[in-house]
Amino acid sequence: MDSAPAKRRKLDHGHDGAKMALETASSTGISRSRAFVLEAEELLDTVRLDYETAFDGADGFLHRIKGSIEAIKPHEPLPVAEAVSKLEKKHKIIVPFPDPPPPENCNYKFSFAKPTCFNVVGSYVSKTMTKTQKAHGIDMVLVLPEEILQEKDYLDLRYFYKRAYYLAVVAATLRKDFANEGQLSFEYLNGNSLCPVLNFQPKISRGSEKPGDKSALDYRIRIIPCAPDGFFPKAKLSLKASLVRKARETNENATQPTPFYNSTLAAESCFLSYLKVLRQAEKKCAAFKNACILGRIWLQQRGFGGGICEGGFGHFEWAVLLALLLQGGESKTQVALSPSLSSTQLFKAVTQFLSVTDFAKKPCILGPGKAEAQLCTEAGPILYDSARRLNIAFKMGSWSAALLHQHAKWTRSLLSDSAIDQFSPTFILKADLPSHTFDLVARLNCGASEDVAAELDSFGSRGRIWKLSSTVYRILRRALADEELGERARLIHIQTPSSPAWPLTERSKSQEGSTLQIGVLFDPVNMARTVDRGPSAGPSAEEKEKCEKFRRFWGDRAELRRFERDTIRETLIWASTTPFDLCEEIMRYILNLHLRIGQSQSDISFHGSGLPALLSLKPADTALFNVARKAFGTFERDIRDLDDLPLRVRQIAPICAELRYSSVKPPAFGSSKSGPRPMECIISFEASGKWPESLVAIQRTKIAFLLMIGSLLEKSKPGEVRTHVGLEDSKFETENLAFLDVVYEAGPSFRLRIHSDLEETLLERQVKDKTSEQYLRQRATTLLAAFRRLYTNLPLHNQYLTTSATRFPALGPTIRLVKHWFNAHMLSCHFTAEFIELAVLHVFLSPYPWDAPSSASTGFTRTLLFLARWDWRSEPLIVDTGGNMPAAERASIETRLEAWRKIDPNMNHTVLVVATAQEPSGVAWTATDGQPKPSKVVAARMTSLAKSASRLIREEGVGLDCRRLFVPSLKDYDALIHLHSKALRSTLKTYATVDIEEAESTGRSKFKNLDERTGQEPLPLAQHPAELFLKRLGAAYSGPLVFFHGAADDSTIGAIWNPLMQRRSFRINLPTSYKPVVGQKRSKEDEQESGNAEDEDLVDVNKEAILAEIARIGADLIDRIEVKGT
Amino acid sequence: MPSSPPVIADFSVLPVSIPPLPSFPKSVVHYLYVRRNTPKIPTPTDARSLFLTNVPVDSSDAHLRALFASLVGAGRFQSVSFEDERKEAQSQSPLDAAQPVSAVRLLQAHGSASKKRKREDEEAERAREEAAARLPSTWTRPLRRSGCTAVVLLADEKSVDQVLKAIAKLHRTKMYPTWGENLPEGKVPPLGSIWLKAHNRLSYPDRDALQASVDAFSELFARREQEAAEIAKRLRNEPDEDGFVTVTRGGRNAPASRNEAEEAKRKMVEKQEKKKEELINFYRFQLRERKKAEQAELLKRFDEDRKKLSAMREKRGKFVPEA
Repeated sequence: MDSAPAKRRKLDHGHDGAKMALETASSTGISRSRAFVLEAEELLDTVRLDYETAFDGADGFLHRIKGSIEAIKPHEPLPVAEAVSKLEKKHKIIVPFPDPPPPENCNYKFSFAKPTCFNVVGSYVSKTMTKTQKAHGIDMVLVLPEEILQEKDYLDLRYFYKRAYYLAVVAATLRKDFANEGQLSFEYLNGNSLCPVLNFQPKISRGSEKPGDKSALDYRIRIIPCAPDGFFPKAKLSLKASLVRKARETNENATQPTPFYNSTLAAESCFLSYLKVLRQAEKKCAAFKNACILGRIWLQQRGFGGGICEGGFGHFEWAVLLALLLQGGESKTQVALSPSLSSTQLFKAVTQFLSVTDFAKKPCILGPGKAEAQLCTEAGPILYDSARRLNIAFKMGSWSAALLHQHAKWTRSLLSDSAIDQFSPTFILKADLPSHTFDLVARLNCGASEDVAAELDSFGSRGRIWKLSSTVYRILRRALADEELGERARLIHIQTPSSPAWPLTERSKSQEGSTLQIGVLFDPVNMARTVDRGPSAGPSAEEKEKCEKFRRFWGDRAELRRFERDTIRETLIWASTTPFDLCEEIMRYILNLHLRIGQSQSDISFHGSGLPALLSLKPADTALFNVARKAFGTFERDIRDLDDLPLRVRQIAPICAELRYSSVKPPAFGSSKSGPRPMECIISFEASGKWPESLVAIQRTKIAFLLMIGSLLEKSKPGEVRTHVGLEDSKFETENLAFLDVVYEAGPSFRLRIHSDLEETLLERQVKDKTSEQYLRQRATTLLAAFRRLYTNLPLHNQYLTTSATRFPALGPTIRLVKHWFNAHMLSCHFTAEFIELAVLHVFLSPYPWDAPSSASTGFTRTLLFLARWDWRSEPLIVDTGGNMPAAERASIETRLEAWRKIDPNMNHTVLVVATAQEPSGVAWTATDGQPKPSKVVAARMTSLAKSASRLIREEGVGLDCRRLFVPSLKDYDALIHLHSKALRSTLKTYATVDIEEAESTGRSKFKNLDERTGQEPLPLAQHPAELFLKRLGAAYSGPLVFFHGAADDSTIGAIWNPLMQRRSFRINLPTSYKPVVGQKRSKEDEQESGNAEDEDLVDVNKEAILAEIARIGADLIDRIEVKGT
Repeated sequence: MPSSPPVIADFSVLPVSIPPLPSFPKSVVHYLYVRRNTPKIPTPTDARSLFLTNVPVDSSDAHLRALFASLVGAGRFQSVSFEDERKEAQSQSPLDAAQPVSAVRLLQAHGSASKKRKREDEEAERAREEAAARLPSTWTRPLRRSGCTAVVLLADEKSVDQVLKAIAKLHRTKMYPTWGENLPEGKVPPLGSIWLKAHNRLSYPDRDALQASVDAFSELFARREQEAAEIAKRLRNEPDEDGFVTVTRGGRNAPASRNEAEEAKRKMVEKQEKKKEELINFYRFQLRERKKAEQAELLKRFDEDRKKLSAMREKRGKFVPEA
């Protein structure tokens, strides 16, 4: 009753209110999906073509082509041989007959007549072309006149022969008329060798007329003859019919169905009806065109296209599918899409459809009409348009359907993840590269398997190569993706070679000598399996049959084995150890067994193991890491078992890469070459009020504590443990001063630092203390950051990285590879290990547009891709370790970055921002001692190196020699300091009692028999000497030089002069070593009047003196210093 | 060898020739800049000291001694203090650092009171204690910052003039002194691998020595704490020259430790927040306002998205699918 006032109020809103309400309604979704819509619209605006300028003159060409075809004189039926030879003699045109060519003695004749109708079809008319697509083609169809065809032409390729002849005649005429205006060639329509088409490429003379006019495109016109609609009875063209019967003479059971042939024939007469369907859809649904453009981009970025070698699912198929989905079906499951949906909604709907319908496994029927019972999937995937009785997916292989299905699934899960950027993985990122997608890529040489294929060749379908690939696919699927054994491969894909255009006067190039590319996507857990358990060998008939089948497929490899609980099973035992090698072994074996492929080395080659091989990553490494973790467990127990500690141990946490599966080298104990390198841990005690209220005193108390733990440990494990308290290379009394190294006789060693919570409170207090001096507060801030990194963030980091490494088996190896890459490019001294680990983890946690990498090589290539694409100037890297970071938190991190960039546009303090849920500030891993690590210059170098590496990976494809990615470009450095590796090695071992200077200077100790080193254990390494040396150099020359260094034992240090340090006037506090400018003064004296007196005291960086200083510091450590340009 | 100007600004240029090394086989000239020492705050030794800038990074007492000996003969050079050492001396006295926070404050406030009582032997005692509490150094030889300064103390005022004269003469004779020549045998620890190895050895000091240093420190610390307590006690109820009484710890009721106070505060805040929370959505108008605020937030976010989009548009290439 009282609702009236409310209503009135609503009406009062007026226009503004209504608009606002609408806007609010449209934006009630979560922020990301709204952004996705906006971004997609922007994308549509960007890629839209201006047809006027882009296809300048195309319409004119089309009209003139039409005219000249119409002017061709019809001729009477001629015998085949005569017609062909006439064309060849008169015009030197070879008729592009499909294989095999028509028999000489056939009784039908070729004739020519004017086409019944011309039409322009495809995306030129619907205006759905984009700027970025590979080639812009205008499709012009000629409908063959009925009088030159006969109804039974659908049999035995007769229609296609006539069509080819027709096309050749057209080509002859057009070549005469358009000789000077462009180039004519034949090509196959979508790579279908049954349907040659004529390709007209206008000459790009327009370029010279209008220089700088980039909008004019390099388009081409395709002339496509086709059959009149409804000429062939559709019922005869059903998928099961056998229409190529010639083979009957040679082959008895030739009543095999010829689905591809049938579908091609059906498609030939559907051009115009599909044109109609699409026009109707455009009219009915306003967003249809845009949805098609989005689909085109999506497919194109994933390497899909209409051509058979591109997967056979292109823009046309997308558009038809969408149009059919808009119509809906009769069954309940097929509810029509609403035509009022927006383009992004339609796009999402289609990807959703593709992700739930696996039409490679089960035929999918679209549109009204009862399902034709005879649909069979053996021939490949089926997406059946029942109204036009055509399988839209007839050009697809089972593998491309599977890949499409998989991509759709990945995109769907991306689109459902509302927290991250959905747009660029969906549309911008190019995801078609095998080395990014597949863990293993094999190349099969088709020529080598000639005899096999000849055997397989079934007459008149899609050619030998296709047959070979589908056989290979079938075998591999059974071998690698058998559900009963446990699927080793999640996806198998085959890339068939493409067929290029060829000139009119030649025959089409056969695809001999080309290669098939097989990509395999691993299931990392199953692929690592070395024993396959087949069916159990029981007495029942069913079991026997199963075993028989298993044996038939696997051949001699299958053997009977007894397993636990007395089951006896058919078993396969494989010799390899890594997933990659296992896959290679199985593929080689099974292809050789069934197809006799791979008997010679050149037949088949495998790619993808090059990267792991570089580091010799082995599955045994994981065991080594586990040994380290176990040793840590022992260590922890030993500490906890100490009775006399004054405080109870709360936690001992590991904080080093060796204990989180991510050090480049697996942990190795008891190396004889160097002193022990302890693995770092921290220990925290229960809260206590006994800590003194002074930072300095806390640090000293910690030393006392460490001394106590050390002696207690030695007492509790006499003979097993040695302990050393070491001093940090610290600057201030208020930072951590000491650590305890615990060396077990068995090998492992650990470094312990004590965490005192009072320290944090005191530091915080100092930071906030407004009364103390600025530099003290600054120092406290730095110390606090270091404290938090060491005692709060690192243990957490270790924890989630360990968890993730168990969740993703490929994570550890990938991190190690990426670290190796940073090492190789001498970048690692500028990056924290944790940053690299988080970058890799990000690639695993939000892997879109793919799934999480399942091998180190894909992980590595994708990490490089990520680093190359990461715009760290404006985007933070947010690693959602828990998988549940609220959107508000992400937003706040982004805001923080923006704020940083505003305060500090030159990025002197903050460069990279890498945030996790535990560490939202984003600088824990990218800044040390108040300095950004890396600096802007180094970060830019990382990006450019990653970019060129990614480019190389793209350009070279799978055949890339991976070592090339790891070659540093030393020529970029101004100076190279080559360390003496032997001297460096000698520094790795020191002893407590030997007076080094004496021992070194006299060569040996005075009494040989009293050499004190005998029986003495070396001291642990406080820090690696090379790193230490670099640190000292860095401290001395922080102004003039930037040093670059890779792994600790790498013997080259690169250095670059700081360009800001140049000639300047003299002042007291020089930032580095300067020399007076020679000659400058005298010349100035000459022009004394104009010269400013202060200008005379110019000084220059004394580069040579600085290098000489470095040589003195390094002394015997430095082999030579190489200066650029000398 | 190119000639260099003898004087730059008010500094004399002191060229030093650097002998070639196998790893860098080039003889080069390093330039030090020397002038009389005239610090802002004068000290009694100013007249007989020289101010050097741009000393080599590997400079040591022995190096400079040898350099000055070659200029004006032995016996003139007394000592040198480098820039970073002077800084360290200011900030790094462990004694200062050892004092508990409260004691430092009190001493700052009443510094004059304690200074008066200082006597000579007390100071010496302090220095000894400090040395005992100091941790052993881990480096045999420090490196200077490139372009570092130093102050050289000479025997007498005459030597200063002689040095400057000798430098001026160098420019005429072109007989530059050589760096690292005539160093006393075994006095200067070598650099390079031996230096690094020595560092590693020194990083692991003898356990007993370390224990002794820690003990010395805790003793010192305990005493300072006690002293501070005493001062505090004495200062209680004692007005300073302005007539103010400093409120210090240890009144009638022993104050809670700072940690406890913080804990108590945290609890109080928690309690308040809880109370506040209970009242949220209690009244209808609160609900209405919240909804309004949410809507406004949505609108704001929408606006932000649009802004972001336009920012992206400005950066070219964001919307072009990669080829």
